[in-house]
Amino acid sequence: MLRYLATRLLRAALTIAMVVTFAFVVLRLSGDPAQIIMGADAPPEAVDAFRAAWGLDQPVWMQYFHYFGAILSGDLGRSMRDGRDAIVLVAERIPATLALTIPALAIKIGLGIPAGIYAALHRNSWVDRLVMVVAVAGFTVPSFVLGLILVLVFAVQLGWLPSGGQESWRHAILPVITLGLGGAAVLARFTRSAMLEVLGQPYIRTASAKGVPWRAVVTRHALPNAAIPTVTIIGFMVGSLIAGAVVVESVFSWPGVGRLLVVAVGNRDLAVVQCILLLVAATMVMANLVVDLLYGLLDPRLRAGARKAA
Amino acid sequence: MPEAPHPVAIAPPRRRVAGPPPLVVFGIVWLALMLLVAILADVLSPYAYTALDLRNRLSPPVGFGGTWLHPLGTDELGRDVLSRLIYSIRTSLLIAFGATIIGAVVGTALGFLAAHFRGLVEQAVLALVDFSASLPFLILALAVLAFFGNSTVLLVCLLGLHAWERYARIARGLALAAGMQGYAAAVRGLGASPWRIYGRHVLPNIASTLIVSMTLAFPEIILLESGLSFLGLGVQPPNTSLGSMVGYGREYLTRAPWILLAPAITIVLTTLSVSLIGDWLRDRLDPTLR
Repeated sequence: MLRYLATRLLRAALTIAMVVTFAFVVLRLSGDPAQIIMGADAPPEAVDAFRAAWGLDQPVWMQYFHYFGAILSGDLGRSMRDGRDAIVLVAERIPATLALTIPALAIKIGLGIPAGIYAALHRNSWVDRLVMVVAVAGFTVPSFVLGLILVLVFAVQLGWLPSGGQESWRHAILPVITLGLGGAAVLARFTRSAMLEVLGQPYIRTASAKGVPWRAVVTRHALPNAAIPTVTIIGFMVGSLIAGAVVVESVFSWPGVGRLLVVAVGNRDLAVVQCILLLVAATMVMANLVVDLLYGLLDPRLRAGARKAA
Repeated sequence: MPEAPHPVAIAPPRRRVAGPPPLVVFGIVWLALMLLVAILADVLSPYAYTALDLRNRLSPPVGFGGTWLHPLGTDELGRDVLSRLIYSIRTSLLIAFGATIIGAVVGTALGFLAAHFRGLVEQAVLALVDFSASLPFLILALAVLAFFGNSTVLLVCLLGLHAWERYARIARGLALAAGMQGYAAAVRGLGASPWRIYGRHVLPNIASTLIVSMTLAFPEIILLESGLSFLGLGVQPPNTSLGSMVGYGREYLTRAPWILLAPAITIVLTTLSVSLIGDWLRDRLDPTLR
């Protein structure tokens, strides 16, 4: 188990290092940041001063070295637009995003998993068909379309809910529903197919044949095994708590991390973009790590396999 | 003399040649229609997609008080929604096709490389796969667009990178499996070059799985492109795509919802069609893939 843990940690660290390297390479490939920020007609002295201030006058490998060191010490640069620390700018927005994504995650899990399990257990019933239709719709309707349709119905036509902004909890209802429904559909579809696969396994037949009540077969044998692939998807959803609402935040003018990212991309505020990139990657890697560890708990075979392979 | 048995009686039980279910037929028809529209955009569209008709601004579609002059209505600048829709379909489909093919080619090639060379090459490819999986694609795409600015070529290449790791993983796994089967070893024994082994022998054997993956990736790419364009960071004006039409129409949500609804419905029906076809193909060609 310790080796399993160690290899996973090493891989997580390697992935983060790759993301940092990627950010650096892309940043340098994209042209002279000084020229981009200052504009083409800036006086050369000003551009040089900017370069010196941001360390752009050093050789590339030195810059990479400094860059890595700075990131390790938590210095993610300052917003090139308003001069504040990028990480502070981003951190300010995190609570607003979490206020959407955490309730949405609750909807996804609370609605998607039971629906998927029920559909699998009652295969080809009308509930199953309904779940599948809704799940496919959830797959294919983009979140901005769903969001705008909800706005059109509940804000414009019925006037029940506000269409955007962040003044009260009522403003969060439509974005949370938009996020939650799409994710619930994905999760339902996944849970259903995981359950169906498990239900077709010989050990389920064995358990029923030796007289285990169906309810116990489902709860003791089917669900734990179907949980394994489902956990992957939930891990991905947890990993995208911070930046999983880019489009929805834009639809509802919700001042979260996603909105900040879109504006920063529009302004080419590279420090902020890079900060969000690293933050998202770190969250994702952490979530994947937790999923891997959960795998180890849920599936003893993986543990043994990892030991053998390592 | 006894009568010879009726041929039907001894015929083997009729093979069930089940045609595609109605929803899949709908998907195929809709997709064919979209392709036709994309190819014949210049012939079909009643106006140029940038043409202004300032006397008929924000006119509603036929059936909602509009006239046949502009069957799907017009936008704020009096541009014909139908014409814009037709050109948007062309743009969006072109981008999605290009990106899907790039992703499939790059991913498959890397997967084969990993399977052929093993060792360090394989580790490097797998590390790249890990890297890809660690970043939600939309974030990655936004970051690259922020750094490099925007162009259609970049957009296509960027979207092409979506899902490459899926092809890479599949191609590597299947190529490794093929290596253990007789046929690849036999060709190798005959002295065929790696190009020949992978191109002529392994690839055709795993093509169906790759094609199914492509049908699964295609709608995702349409959604990504339309999402980016919706945010104003994908296809740039004066060009138009389905997503950017929705993004533009959002400003007129209350006064002229048709600007937004026409492309929105098109996106949904198109992705739905490809998904239905993809699911059906997957069940028929490759039940092991999920």
